[in-house]
Amino acid sequence: MPLRRLRAGLRRPPGIPGPLAVGLSALLAAMLLALGVAPGLGRLQGAAPQPVPIRALMPAPLADAVAGPVARFNAKNPGVRLEVIRGPLDTEAISDLAISSLLLGEAPFDLLLVDVSWLAKYVAAGWFTPLDGWFGPEVLAAMEPGARLGNSIGDHLWRMPLTGDTGLLYWRTDLMDRPPRDTDELVAISRDLQRRGKVPWGYLWQGRQYEGLSCVMVEVLQAFGARWWDGASGATALDSPEAVAAASWLDGLLRHGVSPASVAGFTENDALQMFAAGEAAFLRNWPYAWREIEKADGPIRGKVGVTTVVAAPGRQAGGTLGTWGLSLIRGSPHPEEAVTAIRWLTGETVQRQLALEQGYAPTWSRLYDDPELQRQAPLLVVQRAALQHPEPRPLTAAYAQLSDLLTRQVNGMLTGQEAPAAAMASAQRQSLQVLRSMVGTPAAAGTGP
Amino acid sequence: MTITAPGLELRQLSRELEGRRLLDGLDLQVAPGECVALLGPSGCGKSTTLRLVAGLDPASEGNVLLDGEDLTLREPGERQVAMVFQSYALYPHLSVQGNLELGLKVRGVPAAERRQRIDAILDLLQLGSLRHRRPAQLSGGQRQRVALARALLRQPRIVLLDEPMSNLDAQLREELRPELRRLLCGGEQPVIYVTHDQQEATGMADRIALLEGGRLQQVGTPRELYENPANRFVASFLGRPAINLLPMAHRRQLGLRPEHLILGEEGPLAARLLRREWWGHQQLLWLESDQGPLRLLTSAAAAMPPQPRLSWQRRHELWFDADSGARLAP
Amino acid sequence: MKLSGAKALLMLPALLLLVAVFLYPLLRYGWLSGHASSVLTGLRPVPNGGANWQRLIEDVRFWKDAGQTLRFAFCSVALELAGGLGVALLLHQPLRGRGTLRALTLLPWALPTTVMALGWRWILNDPHGPLNAALRSLGAPSYGFLTTPATTWFFAVLADVWKTMPFVALLLLAGLQSIPADLEETLRLEGASRIQILRRLTLPLLVPYLSLALLFRLAQALGVFDLIQVLTGGGPGGSTESLSLYAYLNAMRFLDFGYAATVMLATFLLLAVLLGVGWLLLRRARIARTTGGPA
Repeated sequence: MPLRRLRAGLRRPPGIPGPLAVGLSALLAAMLLALGVAPGLGRLQGAAPQPVPIRALMPAPLADAVAGPVARFNAKNPGVRLEVIRGPLDTEAISDLAISSLLLGEAPFDLLLVDVSWLAKYVAAGWFTPLDGWFGPEVLAAMEPGARLGNSIGDHLWRMPLTGDTGLLYWRTDLMDRPPRDTDELVAISRDLQRRGKVPWGYLWQGRQYEGLSCVMVEVLQAFGARWWDGASGATALDSPEAVAAASWLDGLLRHGVSPASVAGFTENDALQMFAAGEAAFLRNWPYAWREIEKADGPIRGKVGVTTVVAAPGRQAGGTLGTWGLSLIRGSPHPEEAVTAIRWLTGETVQRQLALEQGYAPTWSRLYDDPELQRQAPLLVVQRAALQHPEPRPLTAAYAQLSDLLTRQVNGMLTGQEAPAAAMASAQRQSLQVLRSMVGTPAAAGTGP
Repeated sequence: MTITAPGLELRQLSRELEGRRLLDGLDLQVAPGECVALLGPSGCGKSTTLRLVAGLDPASEGNVLLDGEDLTLREPGERQVAMVFQSYALYPHLSVQGNLELGLKVRGVPAAERRQRIDAILDLLQLGSLRHRRPAQLSGGQRQRVALARALLRQPRIVLLDEPMSNLDAQLREELRPELRRLLCGGEQPVIYVTHDQQEATGMADRIALLEGGRLQQVGTPRELYENPANRFVASFLGRPAINLLPMAHRRQLGLRPEHLILGEEGPLAARLLRREWWGHQQLLWLESDQGPLRLLTSAAAAMPPQPRLSWQRRHELWFDADSGARLAP
Repeated sequence: MKLSGAKALLMLPALLLLVAVFLYPLLRYGWLSGHASSVLTGLRPVPNGGANWQRLIEDVRFWKDAGQTLRFAFCSVALELAGGLGVALLLHQPLRGRGTLRALTLLPWALPTTVMALGWRWILNDPHGPLNAALRSLGAPSYGFLTTPATTWFFAVLADVWKTMPFVALLLLAGLQSIPADLEETLRLEGASRIQILRRLTLPLLVPYLSLALLFRLAQALGVFDLIQVLTGGGPGGSTESLSLYAYLNAMRFLDFGYAATVMLATFLLLAVLLGVGWLLLRRARIARTTGGPA
């Protein structure tokens, strides 16, 4: 009888046993499912073909780009079966995925395509095997200067670069005769075009609270003569007058309407979409954007030029280094075969194809001199120029923290929560705090491993 | 306008739900102070009638009148009806006092008057000591009395009782019957008492309205229904053990109540004893006759003749049409 | 009641499970929070005294996130309870097609949070989202819903309410259906209005269900992670970052497990205290009503 049940229910604490039981049985069901499925997976693995399996985890766009070369590799190497795992598109998401499996011990892949900003962290965590045994010290010498950076830590080579991407400046050839030479010109041209009603906006870039904003910050700090990270002292210098000037310039772009306020929520793709719709004069993005613009039948197709990023008058400009490279996971059961795959994928043949078909910047100097490539890939000249003075992100194992708190502060500034000087002072203070706590307390130093 | 007697009058009251006729043209009058029992098997329409009178469900046709005033379209809260449910419907989160007080609060009765009225009713029903208990802490009988107290506190113009004793054990039911009658009946209000138990109906009610399939079969005093049933259904439903029905010529049935059969050495029917049930001062005999099985109720002391035969008095004969069940003249 | 051997044996799996999924991680966090375990220690735990806890106390971000998490949880849960009650009352009415309606109501709850959050992110996108398209078609300029702290917070709460209100509604609907109809009918016969019935009868009888929903949802909302992670990434300027997201960043992105454990444990303790206080208040309220003398 319902009434009696209700009364009984009122006397006891409400309903705890019921939901708890449901939760527990759900958990149990999940466990049973896992137990039932696991042997099935085991059988699948056991039934794998004879050749040595090598698996590589890559973000989806690059995984798709290397599909052809991978097939050719497998045809040429019958003893190895190279397989590319298509990871998420977002750089941070794929890092989270890789870390999740690495933390669990046996990673289900032998090779990882590593963003330049992750390397120090992964190496410090001890997840990679150095490549010195297979590649001599001279191997990097055949590459462009920018492509050599971010592969070695200490005396070891940890990564073979596959792409030599840097941040680039896209400009509208139909609106101006030549690209701006410095930040002042960029703003002046923008405001002039906006005033004359040619474009609603001047400059589009990435301002969302994520790693992309750090890439923008690296360029802007460099453009104003500031440095984020001082490798020698192992400290940050985000509250220098130059750094505050850089932040103020970025902030001013929004305040003065050169960039839309929505930039504070933009990723690369958001900015690209708006630029491709013809709504701005300039765009900061990576090399891939060129092909996207030219591929789509948009209003600015054929009206876009690409150049290196600009600095304040009298300063040296440098695009943020955004290279990808392959690293060998420690504990891979087949390192020899895995390195064979690295050699092939990062070799000139594959890089040449990627440059031709996908617009990725090569790392080998020889490819930049290749006449056919120069004809087919007009971006090559700019890419080579950009690789002469690239700006790497802080090469420290604490980079993720530093980047996280800088983007947090700068995004806070862009959305009007803090003034530039306060934001940078706060970023500097927190950076030092993090570094102090990470380097360890006296107690930790005393009993370190 | 027709002149109506004081009291409750149901005129051609009907309810149809999803094509099913739950109640079909019920005409019934309940005088002030009179207690009418609605009796019948489950699904016969007795609870439906109660809900129509209370206004909890809308009538499809017909009217509910009280002292000539048409209540059919009134909200339940405006009818001044008190209803005691089978479950007693006590508010489980409130004490006895809270249960009594909520209705008064809702109607805006001032605190002092509330207190006074509650004290009076608690005295009347001797519930004072249970005042702060919650329904869950009461026995079945106590709950019933609280529900009754709450109904009386309403100062109702009509009292409706929906199987108020079916959740009590048999002994308690018998004990409570006179008290219920004392408290509810004989006052100003008409009382409708729904039950499926004929003993309760005969014990409580001045008149019984027997329902079947949404239709009124017969209404009258318990005695009238027993002695002069309108049809075979009424004859079978009332009286325990149930009436014997013997197939006769011309598609007729002869109804003979077990207590009216006389066991002896003479009579029109020969019988053979199958089984005996002892009922204290009486015994129920299960017999096999030429006309089929029969039940016979007789004194416990009666002896079984060697060649038993059955007889009865003419005046106890009840004749029915074998097909329609309609009552026929003897 | 004394446990017999057989009963104890039957409870053993449940106890083991409880220890495995609940107690062990807690003890592990406690232990880890006394250690440095980061990329700088090669991910090996090295005792560091109370350094993590000291850092936590001085960590402005932790306390800011704590405030933000509490504010988010209280506002979402309050709205969910109010809205869920409304929806439950509506679904309790004898309506045509009620079954279909109930199934439809459940849809947002059945949707994975990440998918739902991506959907909201698209709707609110500036300038490409449909909401801004609608604004522009009305002649208004685009609005940075996810670049303005106040609106970002508002939409995070709205998305959470939209997603979890069905759960609350269904729980309360179950509660409503457990209330026997004759209680309400008795009160109707006393002349009570709908509002009076709701206030005097329905709500008091729903208290067990309401408090269950409250505790469930509060515990969930205080641990909000995926919605924030996908919808706002904690931004703009960290103004929507939750404690769970901060703990996640410390562990998965910064590989600072010692501090991540400290943040998680501190969060757990904070929540435990909060839920404990809430539980006690509810219980006291119920006891007060149970033993309450003359009203």
